[in-house]
Amino acid sequence: MKARLGLLLGLVSWSSWAAETTVVPAHTFVLDLSYIQSSLTQRFDDQRHALPLIDPILRYEPGGGLQGTLSATPRATYHFIVAQILYGLTDRLTAALYLPMVVQTVIDANFGWVPGDYQGGLGRRYSFDDFWAWAGSLGQPRPPDRWVGNRWTFADLFVGGRYKVPSFSWLKAIGLESAFTLLVALPTGKPADPEQVISAGTTTWDLHAYGDVDVHLAVDRPFFADASGVARVNLGADLFYSFFRPRQMVSATGALNPLLTTYAPYTGATYWLDPGDWLGVTVSLDLVPLLGPTRASLVSGGDLETANALPPLLTVNLSYTYLATAASNWTSDSALWDYDREKQWGPGDKHAFKVGGTVSLLRLGLPLQLYASYRAQDLLHGRNTRATDSFTAGLRVLAKFW
Amino acid sequence: MVLLCACEPAPPPPTRELVHLRGTPYQRGLQHGQQLKSKIHSFYTTLLTSSLFPYLGREQPDIATLLPQYDDERYQHGQFAYQLLLDSAKSLERSIPLGVRDELHGISDGSGLSYDQVLVLNTFVDTTLAVRGIALAIRQSRAPTVVSVEFEGLGADGVDNDGDGQIDEADEGLLSPYRPVAGASLVEVPPGLTVKVVLKDPDGVDPATVRFGLGDTVYTADTGLTMVTPTPDVLEVRLTVPQPLPIGASLALVVSAGDLKLLDKPAPTHASFMRDEEILFTVKGAGLLPAQVQRPPLTDGRTRPPSVALSLAGPATLGGQPLVAQHFALLDANTSHKHTAVFVHHPDHGPGFAVVGWAGIVWGFAGLNQAGVGIACNPSDTLDNSVVGSVLDQVADLSTATLVARGTPIGFAERLALEQATDVAGVEQTFASLSHAYGWACVAGDAAGGQRAIEVDSDIFKEGSKGIYPFGPGDQLASVGLGDLVLGSDYARNAVDVTSFTVAGQRVVPQSAWATTFFRSRRAVAWLEQQVRAGYGQLDAAAVEALLADPTVVDASDSMNAVVLELASRRLHSAMGQVPATAAPFETLELDAELSK
Repeated sequence: MKARLGLLLGLVSWSSWAAETTVVPAHTFVLDLSYIQSSLTQRFDDQRHALPLIDPILRYEPGGGLQGTLSATPRATYHFIVAQILYGLTDRLTAALYLPMVVQTVIDANFGWVPGDYQGGLGRRYSFDDFWAWAGSLGQPRPPDRWVGNRWTFADLFVGGRYKVPSFSWLKAIGLESAFTLLVALPTGKPADPEQVISAGTTTWDLHAYGDVDVHLAVDRPFFADASGVARVNLGADLFYSFFRPRQMVSATGALNPLLTTYAPYTGATYWLDPGDWLGVTVSLDLVPLLGPTRASLVSGGDLETANALPPLLTVNLSYTYLATAASNWTSDSALWDYDREKQWGPGDKHAFKVGGTVSLLRLGLPLQLYASYRAQDLLHGRNTRATDSFTAGLRVLAKFW
Repeated sequence: MVLLCACEPAPPPPTRELVHLRGTPYQRGLQHGQQLKSKIHSFYTTLLTSSLFPYLGREQPDIATLLPQYDDERYQHGQFAYQLLLDSAKSLERSIPLGVRDELHGISDGSGLSYDQVLVLNTFVDTTLAVRGIALAIRQSRAPTVVSVEFEGLGADGVDNDGDGQIDEADEGLLSPYRPVAGASLVEVPPGLTVKVVLKDPDGVDPATVRFGLGDTVYTADTGLTMVTPTPDVLEVRLTVPQPLPIGASLALVVSAGDLKLLDKPAPTHASFMRDEEILFTVKGAGLLPAQVQRPPLTDGRTRPPSVALSLAGPATLGGQPLVAQHFALLDANTSHKHTAVFVHHPDHGPGFAVVGWAGIVWGFAGLNQAGVGIACNPSDTLDNSVVGSVLDQVADLSTATLVARGTPIGFAERLALEQATDVAGVEQTFASLSHAYGWACVAGDAAGGQRAIEVDSDIFKEGSKGIYPFGPGDQLASVGLGDLVLGSDYARNAVDVTSFTVAGQRVVPQSAWATTFFRSRRAVAWLEQQVRAGYGQLDAAAVEALLADPTVVDASDSMNAVVLELASRRLHSAMGQVPATAAPFETLELDAELSK
């Protein structure tokens, strides 16, 4: 055991930068476990207006005019546990496995109702309850106000790797560190149930947070490094491309909701969805307000000088991401139906602002890092995209076993 | 980045299409089915499967109580509405010309929809209107009725208030029994109006539901109405207006009420409500006879205009050009407008023609042919319809009776007329050669300025007219001059479409007594007549388009299309593809040019 712990010396290269150039030292594991709560309440239209996730539904009584407008301002909240296992194949090449598990998804529908035309036969306009009583008599149940699902359900898993570009002289001259990252999703997630009025899935398409294949090119530029090489400031940038594979989806037959989700007869039993790819760039700023205290420990092999080269005790990360999204295309037997989906998913963009912090206990002798962050996508309105806000808290354990 | 940002949103697919159909009827149907396959499927599903079928399905328990055939297995498991409509479709099919049946087969083969489904899609309108008419009439019979209306103080005012040629009879202001009429019930009423309305319902009238609307003011039990219950089933309601009514005004007293018995079926729970009964009168100083009084617009948000149609020619139009126009409203259900089309037929034999319709349907409610004949038809609710006729035929043994429409649906009648007629006489002749499945009020015009209104019903009582009631501007039944016909969704000539009688405890009464479109139609027609009168001699296509787009005649929920036909030049202007239809611009089709393509 002593021998193994002694080898944790290799962790000196493990930093807390927000950008994506950090690699794991050879033969070192990083076990990362985090909890993520992600909330989605609004989308942005083509004119960057914030709208509820679901368009209002006009409901008509045959020959009786407009019964009313059924609206929903749903709030979808995902609770994730994400396990990441990183392994340093070499000092420059890290293999990664990401295991996102949805603990549960909660959707509060927040239904609303605007009465429509006066109904002479009723002597009143339809109220919300009138409408559902009417719908019930037609075999359409009232959807629950709250949907809870995806309990302990895998999202799409990821495998991938990161390669840190060698410190070429020209890179070193300008002080840059650079790395490529490739991540590939495995289709272990579950699509949303098409028969349900309110539901959510766990695939990359449903989560809309990353692609099926993500390629990153990241650079970091540290500043104000001390004698041990630990920088007090870092500027980072990450250029990435996310590819989404076209996928075949199942059409709703109306088996559960005959009035609200019957489209298989005209779209076909299945249809194709091409989500469209993303191109994004993140710029980040890392600040180190607190470097130590630092002490010699098992982690540093009992060497204070080595300990001084370990990541700072506290790092604050700020980042901004601009993401351009291509249009999503639906291809079914019905061009009308396709368009009704596509008009909400035209080419667009979104802006994400993130603030976070990492407490690294390596300098204190513990091979542990704690981190938390909050990301907001609704501070600056996007276009034809959904705005997800998320809170993340996690810990990393670093270990080297041989 | 450039690639991603350069992507423009997908353009919306057209919600209106121009479809050329050539060759034999089957070939034309096949082309129709192939070209609009996707829309035919979505129209069928969204309008019928997801809307109309479940809606009609709610009637099954009630209908099966009276007609036990509907407990049969084939009507179970959600199949009631489809089977009901299919039964009628099969019956109506016998009246559809063979060529058109071939066309339906072509649509089926081209679209992949089954022939039965195509048949239902092409016949459901007449059947549904007839079944709905019966259901409405039954519901009205459960609701409170107006027994009498008395305008007090008319017996000594020195005026002939009721237009009977006599002054100050003892019952001058008493309308008993009350009968709805197209014009004013009384004229020259004193401004300080006091009116008593007697309502009756076997379950008792709920005072809390009684509502009198007069101008912009609503009176209820809490706001001005006094009520007395002489017997449990009768409620006497009295109103004395707090302020004198405007001198010379034309006003409608709108009376509505519900009963005390709450019904759970069909949901939601509700009392039985009478239709809004509109009693038209003038205030002293108007100087109008009852028949001259125009219904004023209502702004209470409780009413929507039904379909209206016009024939204008000769002295009515600019340069005498003949026009036929229509704003059709019935059943959009948030889907019909996405499936609109103008079909231009290039038949192997006979004149070419165009109909303004919907995907999967071979007819339209308006059409124009190469000879310059234009037709437009509005529904006109009547109990003299073929489904009532089928029940009466089976009344001796209701255990085997079913609700089946028969005769020719109006769309097919229009199609036939467009294929054959070269003038309005030909249209009338075609209509007269058919028995009709439901009640309709149609206008026809031709390039030579011929004008004809043709009202039809199913003539189930064999009244000698064979269900055909034609008239022209000269009859002054629906005209303000000699060059116009202004039709709504009620009858002008066939006003007494049914002689009242009772069968199996159910009152069968004329349209004016039960149809919920009756007063709405009268009001829309009154406004149109006013506009036509104001523009007499100056009306052209653009002016008529503007008329059809006026909110007064636009049903914002169920407007389906608006059409202006220039008959001499064979131009077809249509607005559709949105709700209301006139939210879209009118687009012009030159029929001659299209047919030469």
